[in-house]
Amino acid sequence: MTIFLEAAQVRKSFKGHEVLRDVSFQVPQGEIVGLLGPNGSGKTTIVRLLNGVIAPDGGQLRVAGHDPVRDGDAIRRISGILTEGAGLYHEQNAVENLQFFAKLYGVKERGRIEELLALFDLTEHQSKPVGTYSTGMKKRLGLAKALLHRPRVLFLDEPTNGLDPEGIRMVMKYIRTLNRQEGTTILLCSHVLHQIEEVCDRYVFLQNGRIIEQGTLPEIEDRYMTEIHLQVETNLQVTGGSYHGHKVERIGEQSLRFTLASKDEISPLLQQVLQDAWVHAAEITNRDLETLYFTVRGRHGDE
Amino acid sequence: MNREAMWAIANKDIRAIRTNIQLWLPMVIVPLVLGLILPTVGVLVVKNLDVSGMSDAEELVNMITSLPVGDLKSHVEGLPTLNHRLVYMLVNYMTAPFFMLIAVMASMIIATNSFVGEKERRTLESLLFAPIDTMSLFLGKVLAAFIPAMVLTLGTVSVYGVVVDALTYSWFGGLVFPTFNWLPLVLWVTPTISLCTILISVLISARVKGFQEAQQLAGVIVLPVVALVIGQATGLMLLQTSVMLIIGAVLLVISLGLLKPIAKLNDRNVLFERQVH
Repeated sequence: MTIFLEAAQVRKSFKGHEVLRDVSFQVPQGEIVGLLGPNGSGKTTIVRLLNGVIAPDGGQLRVAGHDPVRDGDAIRRISGILTEGAGLYHEQNAVENLQFFAKLYGVKERGRIEELLALFDLTEHQSKPVGTYSTGMKKRLGLAKALLHRPRVLFLDEPTNGLDPEGIRMVMKYIRTLNRQEGTTILLCSHVLHQIEEVCDRYVFLQNGRIIEQGTLPEIEDRYMTEIHLQVETNLQVTGGSYHGHKVERIGEQSLRFTLASKDEISPLLQQVLQDAWVHAAEITNRDLETLYFTVRGRHGDE
Repeated sequence: MNREAMWAIANKDIRAIRTNIQLWLPMVIVPLVLGLILPTVGVLVVKNLDVSGMSDAEELVNMITSLPVGDLKSHVEGLPTLNHRLVYMLVNYMTAPFFMLIAVMASMIIATNSFVGEKERRTLESLLFAPIDTMSLFLGKVLAAFIPAMVLTLGTVSVYGVVVDALTYSWFGGLVFPTFNWLPLVLWVTPTISLCTILISVLISARVKGFQEAQQLAGVIVLPVVALVIGQATGLMLLQTSVMLIIGAVLLVISLGLLKPIAKLNDRNVLFERQVH
């Protein structure tokens, strides 16, 4: 496993206010990593530090072996970034914007602009000034801009903000395809946890400028899930709050939620239920990213 | 240095001028008033007015008579009437400061908008995330102000020349504008003073919060110095060409000397932390 992005004991303050402290994490090459945390937790600062546009007060950073402080342009040549504001020129149209950034990034590939406009469904609108675009269209054009030079690493700051459901699906699908086909390493900052759960390989949780947890979803699940909530769609009738020694509560006409001590109890429980009633579906509900995220944050409180 | 990126930034900014009324409106009005309306009215009034009893006219006549002996003095004294002499001095000497003012005004307006304009449009972040050195970025911004300022100045001088010559040709029996000294003034002193103005304005633009603030600050810092030089422009035109060449060279040396410290003062990290939030 080659490490592509690396931060070790990174510190950063702005005007005496500590924004990041002892931040350490690694992103393996070709993985999609979700950088999660509330507003002001330091996600954007990490992206800026890794691109060398601001300097750390302490610690080490590496992107593809380059130090952003000393060799920022080498990193910026292989890095694509979608910022929250997309950073486009509103008086110019889509083609003019992409032509301008193509020159900044030294892109000579013929047909690349047309290809990206088609990919993000913008060909029809390519001659309109970007100022007339909807938020979603600007976001898609911002993503096209970030991908112009076929970056090896992509930093996406809230890539689905302002997108409608179709736009979100298009962007997420493209992120997955890009990662699989071209092996692009992606650092994805987002608040919308259920969207990124589909694409991320691992996660870094930030709170108040500190990393409070990191790992793959199963790893985090193992560390934080102390009980299993199993939601079962069934016509089983239960009286009281217990069924064969398991805590149970009714959450719908044909829906029950069992609380189990471990996953090992799931199969015996379902076998028992099937003897008494029908079962149409069963799902663990407390291991999705959002639930784990709040569990982790709750556990770490205001550390 | 990345020349392609530098020219891309300059071209993009030059094209953006027409979409920003704060930029193009003064650049239309000031040349129109200073470069065309005022000189035209001046020529027509002086040409047709009885100036024999006017004290200002006497002062000008005194200035002419006190000119050092030479081609200019003999040429002016050889003109048939006082009106001819006054029109000749007006067209070739009194209006010279106007054109320097046009160049400096255009330079200052565009250059003060350079970085702070990107900040206000939230595009500075995109530029700083791109793999271009800050020197290319700065030079792109300098060119984006310098080229339009020079085109505007040369264009206005050309139109001014056509208009005043058309108004005076039959009266003088030949072209009255320009004299030789316009060449070093327009092609040497004006570009160098514009460059100085641009460099200081770009530095200010990279430091302040908004366009208005940038203009006010540039007005306070740049204008007094510029006013001093421009105020002497009429006198400058009466001097030898070599003096103008020296003045331009001094301004150029100052500009080149300013370039590196300005770029260094605004390295990527400083610019980002100050201007991107």
